Amino acid sequence: MGRSVRRRWIVMASVMIVAVCLVGFQGANPARAAGVVTLNLYIGGDTNIFDLWKKAFLPAFTKRYPQYKANMVELLHDNGSEGIYAKILAAKRTGRTVDVDLWETTPGFLDQGIAEGLWVKLSPKLVSNVTKVPAPTLEAVDYYGLPYRGSSVVIGYNSQFIKNPPQTFDDLVAWIKANPGKFTYCDPNTCGSGTAFVTAAIYRYTSAEKFAAKAYDTKDEAAWAPGWKLLKELQPAMYNNGFHPNGNVAVLQLLAQQNIWMASVWSDMGLDWYSRGQLPKTMRFIQITPPLMGDDSRVMVPAGSAHLEGALTLLNWLLTPEAQTMVIDVVAGYPGIDWKYMPESVRQKFIDVAKAFAPWPNPKYLADIKRLWHEQVVGG
Amino acid sequence: MTESRRQGALGLALVLPPLCLLFFLVVVPAVTAVVETLAPGPGGSAGLTVARYAEVLSAKVIRTDIAFSVVVTLISVAAVFVLGYPLALYLRFSPGRLASLLAVVFTIPLFVPVVIASFAMITFLVNHGLVSTVLYRLGIETFPPLVYNATGIVLTEVWASLPFAVLILGAGLQAIDDSLIDSARDVGAGRVRTFATIILPLNAIPTRITLTLLFISVFGSFTIPYLVGGNAPQMLGVTMTNYLTQYLRRTDAVTMAVLAFVIAAAVGVVYVASVSRRERDV
Amino acid sequence: MTAVQAAAGPPSPSWFWAIAGMRRALALGAFLALAAFILGPLLTLLVWAFAGAWLFPNLLPEFSLTWWSYVLGNADVVKAIRMSLLTAPVATAASAVICIPAAYAFARLEFPGRRLLLLSFLSANAFPKIGLYVSIATLFYRLDLMDTFAGVVLVQMINTLLFLIWIPTGTFRGINRTLEEAARDAGAGPLRTFFQITLPIALPGLIVAAMFAFLAAFDDAQGTLIVGTPNHITMPVMMYTLVLSYPQPVGAVFSVLLSLPSLAFLLLAQRYLRAGYLAAGYSL
Repeated sequence: MGRSVRRRWIVMASVMIVAVCLVGFQGANPARAAGVVTLNLYIGGDTNIFDLWKKAFLPAFTKRYPQYKANMVELLHDNGSEGIYAKILAAKRTGRTVDVDLWETTPGFLDQGIAEGLWVKLSPKLVSNVTKVPAPTLEAVDYYGLPYRGSSVVIGYNSQFIKNPPQTFDDLVAWIKANPGKFTYCDPNTCGSGTAFVTAAIYRYTSAEKFAAKAYDTKDEAAWAPGWKLLKELQPAMYNNGFHPNGNVAVLQLLAQQNIWMASVWSDMGLDWYSRGQLPKTMRFIQITPPLMGDDSRVMVPAGSAHLEGALTLLNWLLTPEAQTMVIDVVAGYPGIDWKYMPESVRQKFIDVAKAFAPWPNPKYLADIKRLWHEQVVGG
Repeated sequence: MTESRRQGALGLALVLPPLCLLFFLVVVPAVTAVVETLAPGPGGSAGLTVARYAEVLSAKVIRTDIAFSVVVTLISVAAVFVLGYPLALYLRFSPGRLASLLAVVFTIPLFVPVVIASFAMITFLVNHGLVSTVLYRLGIETFPPLVYNATGIVLTEVWASLPFAVLILGAGLQAIDDSLIDSARDVGAGRVRTFATIILPLNAIPTRITLTLLFISVFGSFTIPYLVGGNAPQMLGVTMTNYLTQYLRRTDAVTMAVLAFVIAAAVGVVYVASVSRRERDV
Repeated sequence: MTAVQAAAGPPSPSWFWAIAGMRRALALGAFLALAAFILGPLLTLLVWAFAGAWLFPNLLPEFSLTWWSYVLGNADVVKAIRMSLLTAPVATAASAVICIPAAYAFARLEFPGRRLLLLSFLSANAFPKIGLYVSIATLFYRLDLMDTFAGVVLVQMINTLLFLIWIPTGTFRGINRTLEEAARDAGAGPLRTFFQITLPIALPGLIVAAMFAFLAAFDDAQGTLIVGTPNHITMPVMMYTLVLSYPQPVGAVFSVLLSLPSLAFLLLAQRYLRAGYLAAGYSL
């Protein structure tokens, strides 16, 4: 027995040695060189947004302000956001600073955090460029989140199969019914392009402005009933007898594999995939009337941020024409600041698309829309 | 008397360190969560109330999701067991190169993170994925939906859990003395009888551990149903996450977490009860 | 009882599995079916990893290496793999040191509340973590363990407890007491008996337990995300983003890359597991 035991230990020791070799020595901790402050950014969204930060914003920002470095944590489809929220909340409760200097996430967490007093309230005193942002978009969240970019949802279709794309929402509904299995939208819990289609159905029978405003009363949600009925009716005509994939990317993949011919997609992502050759050459994108929803994406700065000054400097820089032009160039989005502050050349180019989208419901209604969609449309 | 007291003290001392870890990192937070779900809402009277549980369970969608989770878990565990036990027996009793090769192949999923496993399963089984493309080329154009539904969840759970079952069952089978099995044949017992009267009882503890842990891990899974499952019904892991992150109903999510824990714990209690009954019998 | 004997030949009762004539055919059939089910998804992934574009109904894609250069330009991935390979083994080892003696106590010693305490470890895996995030984060802030190596190790240890308590308890229970008693009768002390008799017999079971514990620690995403960000990020924390976000070939490239360390580990562990099985078969 002695020999076999010894051999076992030798094998185990060699496994350990190989493991250590694979690992090597741990790299030194993130540089905390004198004078250079590292800002920790948590960005939730899809890949194109990560690229916007990583490849466009941050290099330009750190070049302009060399006293800052940036460390970015990516949260795809906002997966894991409940953990980040817990982190910020726990830091506040224990009176510590938090290593989250800036967070881009869903309106739901912004709203929850307002009630807990987690975010810095923005004012021209703290962020001078905030005056360039149209006031209503700031008032909608009581100045706790900064709307730094927008984009809209459009209809993507494969022109190989569809010669006359629908022009209105009613046309679209008729087309879906006439071509069962060839359309879908993603699960609203995982993406905005699906939410946009769902709200379009709801807005069809009520007023968009009413639910975009700040007032919240569950009684008003009775007005959504015809919308749910319509969506429920459409279920059998959806791809795979009513399947809604997770995330914007999954919908693009279904379009790429030609499993479906038409879908609601973010304009920016659709164009990005198309230009990279990941979609059939015959893909086209159009906006219908009334337009589908658009989204002002917001970033928050936790009040307990460990590097508050740097975070506010970054916010202020985000609202410069330099950064806002990147929003247009890199992700084909809309600027967060008023168009009148954008360079003349950019303004001329985008004069048509400005604000061609319906408003997003307020966070509380949005949460209820997602839950009720699940109950009324796919669950019932 | 003093010997048994000494043994008791030693036993407690040995289990104390992991128990401390468990207590502070799991038990205390869990009790906090349970208290939160029992506390009356703002404006409610003092004391504890089960109103939240009644409210959560009154939603048909949630009841459906709970039932769906239990059914999918049971089917997955049964499938893993039916596939895993023969495999473990084969590896135990069939020496040779094929068995060694098989042993390597079936272990692979263990080392593939579930995110990747789910992604791989989708690319393999989705309509217009590899299997369906091959069938299409062979002239078969209708393809059943194998992913984004309960079938997909079960297939992926089985794929990911099979090595776990085979290894635990196999480790138990290794401990069974060859001479016992040979002597069963000497007295004329057939294959089925040998399995039922010798192997199964002797391997009872690993079998129960396997079934219990499989149930808990499948029941509590998030990644596989999130990626491979459909929109509805969903498994509880996904439902809870939606209530917390999307629907802004934190307390409902925590209430469901407690319910999920109760179901999983019930399975654990059955396990421990069966093991201790066996100990008394011996 | 010696290595020579262990290496001498296969275990004898292969009659149990043998079906004359059909044995080979059955084994081969089962082998092929299982291999297709297990390897199929992974092979698809491998093909995707080298695909430029793969549109239906082509059987094979246009091959391309473009996505590899896209992925290998990402320094964060390498850093996360390192962090994973450091934290998971440390968490497993630390957990084994405290759990294996406890498992021995659960299996062999009588003490008050034994069954209840054993059962309580189930809660580590059975209580959905989603309800615990805020409490755990609060605790780690109080202990100043946020964004530290020790904190990540500690949070990963939660996932390992059940495997390192329950499986070894079963293993120790399965060992015949008479062997230990014989050693004690021959004058060996309790520690000597444990290390010379009990541990070698239990080792295969303990290795299997440690392996599951390692994988559980290695796979933890949520706990590590809360405690480890922003500077102690492991592979699973990045995984969703890496695997699902980019166009499909990029996800496949990431998957292949991320599976490589695990597969190397598999080959090493496999040899050892098989050897361990054989030894255990002869030890009783």
